[in-house]
Amino acid sequence: MQNKILSVKDLDVKFNLRGRTLHAIRSLSVDVYRGETLAIVGESGSGKTVLNKNFIGLLDPNGFIDGGEILYYGNEKPVDLAKYKGEKDWLGFRGREISMILQDPMTSLNPLKTIGSQIAEAVKVHQSLAGDDLRKAVHELLREVGIDDPERRAKQYPHEFSGGMRQRVVIAIAIACQPKILICDEPTTALDVTIQAQILNLLKDLKKKLMLTIIFITHDLGVVANVADRVAVMYAGDIVEIGTAEEVFYDPRHPYTWALLSSLPQLGVKGEELYSIKGTPPNLFMPVVGDAFAPRNPQALEIDFLEEPPYFEISPTHKAKTWLLDPRSPKVEPPEYIKNIRGMGRR
Amino acid sequence: MPRLKNPAITSMEEEFTKRMAEEMTDEELFSFAEFDESQVERTGYSNYSYWRSTFQAFARRKSAMFFLSLVVLLVLFTFIQPMLPGQIDYFQVNNDPTSGLPYRNLRPGTEVTLTDGTQHRFLLGTNSIGQDLWANIWAGTRTSLFIGVTVALIEAFVGIVIGILWGYVRKLDFFFTELYNVLDNIPVTIVLILVAYILPAGVGTLILAMSLTGWIGMARFIRNFIIIIRDREYNLASRCLGTKTPKIIMKNLLPYLISIIMLRMALSIPANIGYEVFITYIGLGLPATIASLGNLINVGRQMMLSPSLRYQLVYPTIILSIVTISFYVSGNAFSDAADPKQHV
Amino acid sequence: MLLYVSKRLLRSLLTLFIILAIVFILLRQMPIEGYFANYDKLSKMQIESGLHQMGLDQPMPVQLGRMFKNLLQGDLGTSRIYRNNVPVTQILAPKIPISLKLGSLALLVSLIIGIPMGTLMARYKGKFFDHLGTGFVVFIQAVPAAVYYLFLQLYGTQLLGIKMLFNINDWKMWILPVFSMSLGNIAYYAMWLRRYMVDESTKDYVQLARIKGLSENNIMFSHIFRNAFVPMIQYLPTSFLNTVIGSIYIESLYSIPGMGGLLVDVIKRQDNTMVQAIVLLFATVGIIGLILGDMAMVVLDPRITLGHKKGGR
Repeated sequence: MQNKILSVKDLDVKFNLRGRTLHAIRSLSVDVYRGETLAIVGESGSGKTVLNKNFIGLLDPNGFIDGGEILYYGNEKPVDLAKYKGEKDWLGFRGREISMILQDPMTSLNPLKTIGSQIAEAVKVHQSLAGDDLRKAVHELLREVGIDDPERRAKQYPHEFSGGMRQRVVIAIAIACQPKILICDEPTTALDVTIQAQILNLLKDLKKKLMLTIIFITHDLGVVANVADRVAVMYAGDIVEIGTAEEVFYDPRHPYTWALLSSLPQLGVKGEELYSIKGTPPNLFMPVVGDAFAPRNPQALEIDFLEEPPYFEISPTHKAKTWLLDPRSPKVEPPEYIKNIRGMGRR
Repeated sequence: MPRLKNPAITSMEEEFTKRMAEEMTDEELFSFAEFDESQVERTGYSNYSYWRSTFQAFARRKSAMFFLSLVVLLVLFTFIQPMLPGQIDYFQVNNDPTSGLPYRNLRPGTEVTLTDGTQHRFLLGTNSIGQDLWANIWAGTRTSLFIGVTVALIEAFVGIVIGILWGYVRKLDFFFTELYNVLDNIPVTIVLILVAYILPAGVGTLILAMSLTGWIGMARFIRNFIIIIRDREYNLASRCLGTKTPKIIMKNLLPYLISIIMLRMALSIPANIGYEVFITYIGLGLPATIASLGNLINVGRQMMLSPSLRYQLVYPTIILSIVTISFYVSGNAFSDAADPKQHV
Repeated sequence: MLLYVSKRLLRSLLTLFIILAIVFILLRQMPIEGYFANYDKLSKMQIESGLHQMGLDQPMPVQLGRMFKNLLQGDLGTSRIYRNNVPVTQILAPKIPISLKLGSLALLVSLIIGIPMGTLMARYKGKFFDHLGTGFVVFIQAVPAAVYYLFLQLYGTQLLGIKMLFNINDWKMWILPVFSMSLGNIAYYAMWLRRYMVDESTKDYVQLARIKGLSENNIMFSHIFRNAFVPMIQYLPTSFLNTVIGSIYIESLYSIPGMGGLLVDVIKRQDNTMVQAIVLLFATVGIIGLILGDMAMVVLDPRITLGHKKGGR
């Protein structure tokens, strides 16, 4: 498993907005291993999507990488994606090495082009097929994502497809060039619960079949539990805790992870008010001092406001960025809910 | 113990925290900090005011500020101009005291003696019957602005009222939609020509002709907007919380609409000024006794072929263009600035 | 789809009918001088018998019915003042082809210039060309057409070394009128196409096209331009109308013997039947533009054929 395919080191991403600079990713480091499903969770605005857009060169024009590297080990020689500038570098990489599925299948497809032609475009980018061969490849892809009667369906327009069907088409487009990494940016958020499960199963099947590495962005922890091998918790542009799904779910260490898990409706106690995290994430136009979560953490330590915590290792696969893990820190009990899950884990 | 919770701090304060950290002992550092809920909410982007942000976004654009000041100055000046010393009434025909004949087509800047014995410099010269072109241009701008602004106000008022009714009262939807389908299909120019042809020439006729169709677009827009927003979740939420409908309109919807209303009004003014020029051009405009930019340009047009008299076309044109362009640009800039999406 | 098309068509015809009726009733409110060549010299008796002869003393519904009946038979009435006792159709017949030629040339030129202009402005958004184009659009939109038409005529004729008076057989003479008339539509197309393209380019499907690995130029043309162009069809009616309005100015400015110039003439001479006929024709042109726009939308946007209505709910 310890075969890295993507390695992010001290990545800083900033945005220029009306003369001010927003520090969206704050020297973040993370490794992605070949064949795993890494889930990145966090609130909206925590930088999940921005981080992943760097891997595919789709940062908004006012955003830029301000230091750090993104090493991609997909081929014999590693390449630093942080050094890719402009279209020339990215053409031939996007789609073929790393591909992506967007959140809303209703808007991801061009409403004025047939499904078939939109898939064909993706096939043609990296394979010089034409005529019947191309058509066959398109039908094959449609079949692969579980769409019946591809010959007829390929001629239809997106508005003739349901949301779940459209997401299948988007997946077909994403895997058309057999990418090594597939980034899924909340691929099920916009779908019905029953359809969600189908799409997740499809992704699992495809992962096995095509030996994909999947980076799964979501704020739905239920989905994470379903698909993820490892989980990274993001807050204010940095990963505050990372570990195997089991470790993060059953033995969370960062107060933010606690808060996040506590706000899960499934874990709430019937009759009691559901826990919610107070306040909003920090304003990233301003420099963050200390632990970014401290102002919202009722049990913050004095040092949380002054110095940024380093990663403390809990196990070789599990680490968290909180002063609570420092030997000098007082013992802080995780909230009731978290203890309950721990119990569930032992069972 | 002093502590800086809010990360919104200057570099000086940052420096200060660093020193603080160095001076504090481990024991102190690893003790619990007080949790202050009021501070929690301040971490985000909370101190937002719609109108202040709008103003700031507008003020950031230099060209917009330039044209806005131009609009203000022009409007002010058209009213101040007759009160300035040494101004001649625009309608007065200026005669040469020796010959008794009018000073026809005086070149700009010519200084002559008037019948009352005073010296007068005609800044922009005189027209073909000896009237002061300078005074005529400002009188014309006054008339044209009056027509333009009045029509814009009528359109906005009628359009908003009908649009709100149309959007909120479901029973009226069918009627207004059908009315819209008919009215919107009648070319504005045709209505202008018809009304101006049928009714006696005058400012009232022009205002009526222009406002007759102008409100439709506004009403339609307001209606669509209201329907979209009416069905939005947050309004559903306000309704469930028992907020009264008029309050929903005033508090939640109107700020969004204001940018578009302002834009429409700002764009309506130059368009109306243009319509006046058009109607005058085809011979249905204001009587020649009323100074208007349309009349001035129409008269100037007849002088166009002789280069020495071309100033009679050029000066009114310049003023007209400045007026219309300033309204147009500042209106656009305001609507950009008023868009909440621009307030980052 | 056929049902949809016929429904729209029927609706437009109904609208046209209502508009024509309104226009007719309005025009009938005009002073009756406009129906007689030498009104001042006529006695009261003569005027009354004249009105009777033309059927203008009958109740409005009767007059309206007759107007529609005549219209269906292609009879637009008889001119009294512009040319005494000549059928309007006979006066208009030689003028329509000229206006049609002028109008279609102007539309063609505005498409040829306006569409690349809008595309380039969107492609180089925020760059020099975009600012230049925006400046042009602002100028054309803000300054009344009458004003820049005049200056184009004045300096254009000098530049091309031609006379101001129009000569239908000299192709050089067509350049300025056609170009002037197209300016408004050029600005219109450029502005809207740019806006739609900028809007489209932020949509998710464009993002997905990038993820697929398509090149920026490919996306620009096969996705963004294509999709932005469809809503542009909505502006077809407006460009028709712009052309009509332009023709009123331009034809009288260059003394082109077309319909627009004629309208200005007959207004100045207060010939009611002529004004009525031309106004009706122009209103019809406007409606035809609308119908064409609708039909084009049906053909180009697959979503509409299923009965989805654009806008509203």
